[in-house]
Amino acid sequence: MAVSDSAAPSQKAGTVRRGAGLSASGWVGAAIILTYVFVALTGAWWAPFGASQILTGEPFAGASLQHPFGTDNLGRDVFSRVVLGTRPVLAMTFSATVLAVLAGGLIGVIFGYLRNWVDEVGMRVVDILISIPTLVLALLIISAVGNSLWLVVVTVAFLFTPRVARVARAATLGVVTNDYIAAALARGESTLSICLREILPNISGVMLVEFAIRSAFAIIFIGSLGFLGFGAPPPTPEWGLMINEARANAVNSLWPVLAPAGAMAVLVIGINLFADSLSRLIDRQGSAAVAK
Amino acid sequence: MASSWPVAQIRDLTVDYHGERGWTRAVDGVSLEIGNGEALGLAGESGSGKTTVAYTLLGERRGASRVGGQVLFRGRDILAMPAGELLSVRGRSIGFVPQNPMASLTPSMKVGGQVAEMLRFHAVETPQGVGARVVELLDSVGIPNPVAAARRYPHELSGGQQQRVAIAMALACRPDLVILDEPTTGLDVTTQKRILELLAALKRETAVSMLYVSHDLASLAQICERVAVMQKGRLVEVAHTSSLFADPRQEYTRDLIAAVPRLDRPPAGRIEAPPPRHAPNLLEIDRLAVSYARRPLFGLGKPPADADSVKGVSFAVQRGKTFALIGESGSGKSSIARAVAGLTRPRAGAIRFNGEALPALARQRSTLLRRKIQIIFQNPDSSLNPRKTVRSILARPLSMFSRLDAVAREARVIELLQAVRLDPAYADRRPHQLSGGERQRVAIARALAAEPELIICDEILSALDVSVQASVLQLLQTLQRERGLTYLFISHDLAVVRWFAQDIGVLRQGAFCELGDTETTLSAPKSPYTIQLLEAVPRIDAGPPPETQPA
Repeated sequence: MAVSDSAAPSQKAGTVRRGAGLSASGWVGAAIILTYVFVALTGAWWAPFGASQILTGEPFAGASLQHPFGTDNLGRDVFSRVVLGTRPVLAMTFSATVLAVLAGGLIGVIFGYLRNWVDEVGMRVVDILISIPTLVLALLIISAVGNSLWLVVVTVAFLFTPRVARVARAATLGVVTNDYIAAALARGESTLSICLREILPNISGVMLVEFAIRSAFAIIFIGSLGFLGFGAPPPTPEWGLMINEARANAVNSLWPVLAPAGAMAVLVIGINLFADSLSRLIDRQGSAAVAK
Repeated sequence: MASSWPVAQIRDLTVDYHGERGWTRAVDGVSLEIGNGEALGLAGESGSGKTTVAYTLLGERRGASRVGGQVLFRGRDILAMPAGELLSVRGRSIGFVPQNPMASLTPSMKVGGQVAEMLRFHAVETPQGVGARVVELLDSVGIPNPVAAARRYPHELSGGQQQRVAIAMALACRPDLVILDEPTTGLDVTTQKRILELLAALKRETAVSMLYVSHDLASLAQICERVAVMQKGRLVEVAHTSSLFADPRQEYTRDLIAAVPRLDRPPAGRIEAPPPRHAPNLLEIDRLAVSYARRPLFGLGKPPADADSVKGVSFAVQRGKTFALIGESGSGKSSIARAVAGLTRPRAGAIRFNGEALPALARQRSTLLRRKIQIIFQNPDSSLNPRKTVRSILARPLSMFSRLDAVAREARVIELLQAVRLDPAYADRRPHQLSGGERQRVAIARALAAEPELIICDEILSALDVSVQASVLQLLQTLQRERGLTYLFISHDLAVVRWFAQDIGVLRQGAFCELGDTETTLSAPKSPYTIQLLEAVPRIDAGPPPETQPA
């Protein structure tokens, strides 16, 4: 045949838009996240004071070269506490979100793939879990079981799992109608193999964005628990807990309140900027791949 | 609307798209003219730039593109028009009928309201009132009971009727020019025939000019006075329809015409290899019934027997031969394919393979049976996982069905790519880096990887260009001869099947209205439906419409 079928993709491939990478705000977000990770990993070596070292200076001192964020009621250095608090905050956030995305992702993919009575019953249970106010449920669990760091992680993961499952299921529904799923079925692949090999790679972008958004929520949520006294026990330099401890003395000095709050806000904004840009990037790649 | 200017002139048009590797030229120095009341056909394969040319007539620049040259509408350059003026020309003076009416009609708005919106937006004078004019328009495009149809939502209409609504919208403001972008591509043959008849009638009555973009030369032949052929962004040939088909000047045009499947003569390069007269039956279907109806009692009861989409169909496929299932959408042909492949549980009936009863679902079948029955789907965009490389797509069935080590598997992947006439270097590519025809070849290679005896081909040509169809069909015939394959070939296109299948079954509403060997069935059809289908096949030599004199 002189008429070949090899010439086609040139035109469609040409319509892919310029700028394949993250947007500028996405890079700002990524830089913020990387800075926090760096601080979390290395902070213990260069923080000027220990987290529970008292009377490093006058209590309620303002910002100075020695105490960039001032000191709190016990004369502890607020800057060191914020720096040293980065590690537990990031570690708890990361493990809680990883757990939630893994569990919720698996549940969502399997339900979305099965679409039978298991899905019907399971999603109603998910609906019920989502309808309970998160903070109330978290306080209930923690006060019933006990108060420890790993319990906070598990509780947050448990609360986020149904929300992640919903997103994963919705993304799966868009994938299962494709014929490559039917081809895998005709080949005799098992349900788990279809979910992991055929569906998961196609929703990984959505799950990545979900992971980023959930981490931002997790930071605030863990901070709220700490603030209410249901998170880490007192000497821990956890940001939410620090805000709560300093709250009573806000009249004397605002630094111990503002510094951890600001640290938390900047990180959450950074993650949101990154997630936003990431989801746009994935949308674009997805549509480019779909449009041949 | 007579004017000294021709309706549209395209002068030395170039369009470049910006891609990963810099600028690519999609349209290269195209010059065309559309006269008053003339229908110009624009033919070419996908990627030839024909749609891009059509879109520039609407002043539309798609994606990151750079446009050079002039596009004149009644002497005014559309590309240089300010946005406001362009808006008043679009829709008002230049109508547009898109490829897929399902995607272009607003799903949440009644069709009457959508047509009325055209009239209101362009403030067209309607002495009889907007509502009455809408009904008149719907009536003129042949929608039965237009008053009731105007109150329906798009999804309540059939595909053909949706396309008629889109045509009514394009004609609502009595434009000078209508651009039709593959308007019949997604439709059944009989529906396509009726739409083509409608367009020809509208052209006679309203003297509207048309730019008809299509890869289907046969349907162009029925509407257009002149046809322009494009290849890789360049204009290959422009000629009057009759002379283009009778005496094509360019090699490319000749190949394109030769690739159009025809009922009256076999395609060029057809492999004549009549298999033995009476081969044993490989596949037997016995009173198969498939139902998608909701089962009562919360899905626990039996589905009602009268809601079957396949109603007790029986046929047999002989080893080494091709059996064609013909039918329009909704005839149940794909349901049969899915039942044989083990993707749908039949409501009743039996399927026997090599004389043994087949379990209903693929998962209940033995590995050997799953290996021997393979299915190729209609749309390779959907049947190949976009996240996988061609290598891993082909290696998966190999690792499931054979005990090859990694080295032998790699060798087999290369062998399979060669068997479907693809470059072995394609193993590292992903599906979106291939053209439609290449993707379908990968899908064929995946089926071959299992070393099957029976391959179910579910409308595998309908998403492909005519010339690509011809080459894929030729590949299937070569493979059949080399490997003694048996095909269950599902199609809506009688002209394709005519020279490819030994036996044929014509399905209508879930039951056969004709069953027998292709030769006798198609030369002396008994059922009126088969005759109707045969007549609907577009013919190149059916005689183009009389040439109109430019006004």
